[in-house]
Amino acid sequence: MQSKRLGIFSLVCSLALLVGFSDAATASAQVPTFTVGWSVYAGWNPYFYMQKSGILKKWADKYGIAIKVQRFDYAASLDSFVAKNIDACAMTNMEALDMPAAAGVDSTAIIVGDYSNGNDAVLVRNNLTFQTLPSKPVMLVQKTVSEYLLERGMVLNGQQAQLGKLHLINTSDSDIVAAFLNNKSNEAVVTWKPLVSQIVADKSVHSIFDSSKIPGEIMDLMVVRSEVLNTPNGQKFAKALTGAWYETIQQVAAGQPNALKYSAAASGDSVESYKEQLKTTALFATPKSAVDFADGAEVQQKMDLVRQFCFKHGLLGQGIHSVDDVAIAYPNGTVQGNKTRVRLRFNSAFMQAAAQGKL
Amino acid sequence: MTNLSPFDIQARPNRLLAQALSCVLFVVCIGLYMHTSVARHRENAEDRVVPSGHQLVAGIRSAVLEPAEEDDYIPADNASTWERLRHSMIWKDTASSGGRFFISLALLIPFVVLAVHIGLFPWFGAGFLRFFLFFDKIVALSLLPILFIAFGIDQWSKIALIVIGVAPTMILDVTQMVKAVPQEQIVKAFTLDANNFDVAYRVVFRQVLPQVINSLRLNLKPMMLFLFAGEMIAASDGLAYRIAIMRRHMGMDVILPYVLWVALLLFLIDFSLRMINRRLHPWFQA
Repeated sequence: MQSKRLGIFSLVCSLALLVGFSDAATASAQVPTFTVGWSVYAGWNPYFYMQKSGILKKWADKYGIAIKVQRFDYAASLDSFVAKNIDACAMTNMEALDMPAAAGVDSTAIIVGDYSNGNDAVLVRNNLTFQTLPSKPVMLVQKTVSEYLLERGMVLNGQQAQLGKLHLINTSDSDIVAAFLNNKSNEAVVTWKPLVSQIVADKSVHSIFDSSKIPGEIMDLMVVRSEVLNTPNGQKFAKALTGAWYETIQQVAAGQPNALKYSAAASGDSVESYKEQLKTTALFATPKSAVDFADGAEVQQKMDLVRQFCFKHGLLGQGIHSVDDVAIAYPNGTVQGNKTRVRLRFNSAFMQAAAQGKL
Repeated sequence: MTNLSPFDIQARPNRLLAQALSCVLFVVCIGLYMHTSVARHRENAEDRVVPSGHQLVAGIRSAVLEPAEEDDYIPADNASTWERLRHSMIWKDTASSGGRFFISLALLIPFVVLAVHIGLFPWFGAGFLRFFLFFDKIVALSLLPILFIAFGIDQWSKIALIVIGVAPTMILDVTQMVKAVPQEQIVKAFTLDANNFDVAYRVVFRQVLPQVINSLRLNLKPMMLFLFAGEMIAASDGLAYRIAIMRRHMGMDVILPYVLWVALLLFLIDFSLRMINRRLHPWFQA
């Protein structure tokens, strides 16, 4: 009985491993077809419209390649990107650093789409403040930008010394609204929109800190694997994707009805709710604004805060003993960290080309 | 050639061959894992998805000897291995998950007693059986938001999830066992001047107890699944909490040892229940 059960178990294991193999095999085959992964978020929903409207196909055809767009859960999209099943993926700057880059997958951010300008928020009941927060349980998805936001809030409110006293409850984002609202004894929660909007609909809850107080620190990027980008077809892919993105995002920013309708539908939101989310999302609607931001000196300061956070929380991995071991390269050639270990690159060349109309 | 006849029911491989055969799939598994790991590391020396032996050892070391990240404890430089172990991540998580697990296990006992009554006493059967037949089909996980209201997000909602998930199945199972006890025995016991509770506890319950323990053994895995589901949804410690946290940055070097550790724990609980059963009920042939 026992040995039979174990036998079945190992069979399942080996099957799972086999599947892993075949995936790796197909990914390495070179056909000019590329896959972009994205997940639901105000700044990324336009990818849905980009595909639906045919804008993406138009640009892919122009460069003679095929681009597939696939929607994922956020965590699953990152897993696929790290496992090299997809070529490009929408992610925040923090995840770009602690998932692919820290796992040794050299990654390049080719589009800085927006930054969170109020989309993430620390919400409390009973007029809690950062002074009284440390003794209360705080619900959030740990090791994500939520925890980053909370720590920044504590630091900016002079409570740095109290950081160690925070009592965090790791709560899945799919249940965090119900778990928080249904029980009045939960006094603090950190999450993102549209969940924030659902929670503040309860009048006893209000926001004490949000990402508009740390502008530019939570960026939403389109990240491509550097090894893909460095092939001739990969260059075409990046150009087509960037071109399609700016055509799409200009329609969204201009309030084109279909662009808004489909982008809202991507997350099952109404157009009104989506517009409300866009208000707290600082979209870089023109490639020029994105280039200015990516090339600026501020990005480096903000990334430094993020990488220090990641390192302090062990998000760069057990084997990483210095924050400099996962280095970041910027468009002007500066490297943050150990020059021989660059893992994350900001590349504004494609946005630049879009700004100059050269795509 | 009785040695090479896999489709012969009466063939017996000799002891050595049987041992070797039982190892084959393990070896294949480990081999496939190592192959994948080596291949992935050749491509990317820092791969975290399929950690190498070296990474795994480092992961195990940090899980077993280092305190959890959220703890304030910092081991003294000369702290003994035992001291480090007692404050380690895996110890802390095992203790909190184990606590939840055994509390739920204990809470199942009254339900087993109730099941004996349902199977034996018609009034109980009339009152409870249909309800539990219905309740058994409820997917407990989908009730979580309600559980959060009723039990908060701490310990008790997870325990409630386990009990609600497993108890109805146990009750129905035990009820069937009780009903399978021959009516003649019950009548005989009454003729020997047994009262109702003598029959329930000294005739029927004694007889079904080994089967109940076996049923419990089969339910260990569902219990662990519910515990994991609960801990992954909202927790600040526990084995599944750590796995959920580690997943956030692909800490497979810690996750894999955790998974094997949980498997070992379940195996040990299962094994000890089986031993208890054999010791207490030598007459019972499973």
